Amino acid sequence: MARLVAAMAMTHSPGLTGWFTRASQEYQQLALQATAEMRRRLEAARPDVVVMFSNDHLLNWPINNMPEYTVGIGEEHVGPAEWFDEWLAMEKYRVPGHAPIARWIVNEGARHGLSLAYLREMQFDDGISVPTHYLNPDAQFRMVPVTMNCTVPPIPTPERAYHVGTLMRDMLAAYPGGERVAVVATGGLSHEPGGPRYFWVDEEFDRWFLDLLKKGDHAALLRECTLERMEAAGSGGTAELLAWVLVLAFTRGPADVLAYMPAVAWRSGTGMVVWNELAR
Amino acid sequence: MGNVERCDKTLAVNEMMFHVRRDAALRARFVSDLEGLAREFGLSRAEYEAVRDKDPRRMMDLGVHQYYVPQILRLFFGAAHNSNASAALECYQRAYPEETAKAMALQARLERAR
Repeated sequence: MARLVAAMAMTHSPGLTGWFTRASQEYQQLALQATAEMRRRLEAARPDVVVMFSNDHLLNWPINNMPEYTVGIGEEHVGPAEWFDEWLAMEKYRVPGHAPIARWIVNEGARHGLSLAYLREMQFDDGISVPTHYLNPDAQFRMVPVTMNCTVPPIPTPERAYHVGTLMRDMLAAYPGGERVAVVATGGLSHEPGGPRYFWVDEEFDRWFLDLLKKGDHAALLRECTLERMEAAGSGGTAELLAWVLVLAFTRGPADVLAYMPAVAWRSGTGMVVWNELAR
Repeated sequence: MGNVERCDKTLAVNEMMFHVRRDAALRARFVSDLEGLAREFGLSRAEYEAVRDKDPRRMMDLGVHQYYVPQILRLFFGAAHNSNASAALECYQRAYPEETAKAMALQARLERAR
């Protein structure tokens, strides 16, 4: 039985590495402190594997065939993908995977009615690369990357993401091994990558969403934070928060919001969150 | 629903961009021979011209997925230091003056508030 030991979430905006110093000193400090705190808590939880839930920005799959979820089952994960090196201003990283758990998720998913695509060699954009830079820079944690579609219509609903989260939680709990598992959601908060409001951040939505996490009432969050509400706060980007909603299913009670920055300079509402209490 | 719903999943540009981003040789051709590349991927004349003219509004009106629009601009202008001072901002200012002005005003307000 694998054991859940940590759950957290952070923004993965490319500005956090690619043009970090374009934001104010204050935001830079906040982001550095919050990600350092996440890393400190992750190290304290001593996970054997970090399952990272992010989204694919049309990099691994073409628009004519976009799966809802994809699991990276490789023995090793290498990023960023070539096209993203310069943009993210990052050196290449190599992080060991955890093939047995990744393959377990794919196969158990099928038994639970969940059609999960998988890739042995996955390409990585900001979604996995930016959090890896901050949380796992020395590749000390094995990683299982799981990406979701949140940008090619039809976009799954928050209810669906939460449901998949509960299935993932139960599947991981049933894994026949003693591994300690951390789950990390990446993406959000409000932004509209490439849309007419490309340079806009919806601070009001972001603070409202983070307050819902602080309250920790999952049913209330699912009732109030509809896909329509996310899309209104920045189309095709804010719905990356579906990864956060998925990870919510691994947690109980209020989240600690470590930082929030309406960072127009990074073109994304930017936040870092850790949950104290885990489901079961 | 939001802007992303306006994309035409079957538009040739959207297929072309997937391959161009993953292939250095195609990226080079995007710059050196966009018209030839567009022909090979079956882009319409209107699609080709909207891309050539770096016009986000025309691209999205045709159904280019919004996420690919800045990626197209990066192929023209380069990917490094892609801050808001980049050439992409100018393209968006031309295409969406109102939305972009609102965002820049927000940034100025946030800067002042500190």
